[in-house]
Amino acid sequence: MKAQPALVFVALSVLVLIAVVLGVCVGAVPIRLVSVLAAAAHGLGLQLFPAPDPTTAIIIGQLRLPRVVAALLVGCALAVCGVIMQGLFRNPMASPEILGVSAGGSLGAVIAITAGLAGASQLLLPLFTMAGALVSTTLIYLLSSSRGTTSLFFIIIAGMAISALCGGVTSGLLLFARQYEVSQYVFWTMGGLDGRTWQHVLFSAPVLVPGVLALSLFSRELNLFSLGEEGAHSLGVSVEAVKRLLLALSAIVTGVAISVSGPVGFIGLLVPHLLRMLIGPDHRRLIPASALGGGLFLVVCDLIGRSIAPPFEIRVGIITAVIGSPYLLSLVLRTQRRAASAR
Amino acid sequence: MSRFSNLSESSVSSPFVEATGLVWTAGQKRIIDSVDLSVEPGELVGVIGPNGAGKTTLLRLISGGLNPTLGEVRLRGHRIGDMSARERARQVAYMSQDSSQALPFTVMDVLLMGRYPHLNRFEHETAVDRGRAREALAAVGMQGLENRIMNQLSGGERQLVLFAKALVQDTDVLVLDEPSSSLDIGHQDRIFSMAQDIARFGRTVIVSVHNLSVAAEYCTRLVLLENGTVAASGLPEAVIRSDLLDRVYAVRTLVSPNLATGSPTVTVVPGRARSRTARVHLIGGAGSAVNLTRELYRMGYQLSGGIAHEYDSDEKLWRSLALPVESVGAFSRVSDEDVARASHLVEEADVTILCSFPVGTGNLGNLRLAGNARRLFIVNPGPDEVQRDFFSGEAGEAFEHLCSRATMLGYKDIVSMLAAEAAAGAGQF
Repeated sequence: MKAQPALVFVALSVLVLIAVVLGVCVGAVPIRLVSVLAAAAHGLGLQLFPAPDPTTAIIIGQLRLPRVVAALLVGCALAVCGVIMQGLFRNPMASPEILGVSAGGSLGAVIAITAGLAGASQLLLPLFTMAGALVSTTLIYLLSSSRGTTSLFFIIIAGMAISALCGGVTSGLLLFARQYEVSQYVFWTMGGLDGRTWQHVLFSAPVLVPGVLALSLFSRELNLFSLGEEGAHSLGVSVEAVKRLLLALSAIVTGVAISVSGPVGFIGLLVPHLLRMLIGPDHRRLIPASALGGGLFLVVCDLIGRSIAPPFEIRVGIITAVIGSPYLLSLVLRTQRRAASAR
Repeated sequence: MSRFSNLSESSVSSPFVEATGLVWTAGQKRIIDSVDLSVEPGELVGVIGPNGAGKTTLLRLISGGLNPTLGEVRLRGHRIGDMSARERARQVAYMSQDSSQALPFTVMDVLLMGRYPHLNRFEHETAVDRGRAREALAAVGMQGLENRIMNQLSGGERQLVLFAKALVQDTDVLVLDEPSSSLDIGHQDRIFSMAQDIARFGRTVIVSVHNLSVAAEYCTRLVLLENGTVAASGLPEAVIRSDLLDRVYAVRTLVSPNLATGSPTVTVVPGRARSRTARVHLIGGAGSAVNLTRELYRMGYQLSGGIAHEYDSDEKLWRSLALPVESVGAFSRVSDEDVARASHLVEEADVTILCSFPVGTGNLGNLRLAGNARRLFIVNPGPDEVQRDFFSGEAGEAFEHLCSRATMLGYKDIVSMLAAEAAAGAGQF
């Protein structure tokens, strides 16, 4: 199953390019490839093709492209954070959800919705989501740190407790919410990329891009974490500092990502696991590969959601879940079988 | 062996490792209590002690894996707590006891992890680093296995790779926690011989060892821990002593020099049977009493021995078991005075056993001594045992005389007869 890493990177890059172009072409109004190329050339100031007609230009530039870029960014961020959490916890089943990001984000979202703020501005819902995610993560982090060390085990416990708390409050708020607000919330929890504009991209990219780059700088430390915290420490890793930094960065990046797309599940689990089988566990390759793979996966899922039953759109969170859950199941089954045969 | 010799920058004055007043507490319990330890370049220090004595904790304190509650550790005069993690990792390498963790990486990947403290964030491993890694792998006898996945190696092989990783780290101080726990004796010898070489080339190795004989064999100095304190420290001969070990480990040990290397070896005397009041005296020579001594000792008899010649293996065994023994100098003649001096042992014994050994003029006295026995057994040698022989007519006559009043029995028969008498409760047996 091992593949040449270089080959995987080339394949992923080509696929990402194809997916982006398809993402722009496919939709309720199909757009021909020529128009996309023309628009791209036009955008670059080249007059190779006749300029596309204004409607097509708007569909490409204002509707489809920001949506694809947002999908790329979010997918990339979620997959990379997945890798980081799995490396940190030395467990292939770990994901940023452990940090209570989703539960906190959902609480933030439901507050924005029930307070009637979500309709006031397109950016208020994402902002509240991010705030909720960060507050719950900070709480979990504080609870599990004592005397200068952070116990990964307590993070899991505290994460479960805080997530349950947020979930309870969310349900409580929904109980008193109006029907359309409940629908709006449920809709949000499905995760979706419809109507994402350049505003969303501009608001999230300045966090996501540097965040992902910063996370990727710690690939060697993550490799050393596989020796255990003691092993990493004895090789000169400042274990506590690195752990804190990576936890905080992952929480911020994930929080911002789900504020754009809503809670899109499974990317952080599925993509790194698949790529780990292809190119091995070295984070120096796994992180960039997951960045590409995550972006690709979300763009493709969004594309599928848009093209199954046009003009209706199936929300991207549903697509990732439908693809992700069976995979997660097979993962669990395989792990169990391996454990059984090792016994 | 060039890789073991980077002494260029060593400051001559301060020891490589200096721990003073180390205390480490877990809850209320002091796991390590006021430990001082100073280790010079060239030393291979073995840390020994029973389970729970604090060996691993001490090693982790020395290597900076734990911060002491009180006291401090200095590496070449610098406080370990003041160093950055990387700085520390360039000075001291630590190999943990646990080599079982799942590692999906290749052997080469793991070895190169040892270069981490020497590389900055944007630096890649070079051919030089790979060369070092390959060299270390060859040194532990695993050349050519660099592309194997760690998870697919046996426990012992994994331990060897982790040891090689510690070598690749290229530090002056090497701290090894039970480095040979899952190794066969061949690989155990390899690791410890390499540790010896590393020390000889002017570095320092601190290693915890469960096997006391191994510790005594390879280490230049031993530190015996007992409940977190240093019970003894010094040359192996000074620490590996039955009186110390018996107390600290709460077992009966037998310390005898290894015939090949001369270093002390430790054997645990298997649980002694309920001690018996019956007394048995053994007359031996040329090692003829060794087996019987061990057997009867295990059965719980009160033993005495002699007259022995010094340095004879019978004498050494009796001395190491701290039995009452009468002896004369090596190769000297057992005189009438010696017989008189020893006869109280024979007279007080319920049974005296005359083992099978060659009798010459030197030990003729032992036959005379046997004549004083209250009850005498004479061992009939089996075909593989030391045969009785007489180098003088006088000796032959004396033996004939003894035979008239003794029971002649094979080795096995003596043991089973004593056991049977003990079971029947006959006499004092």
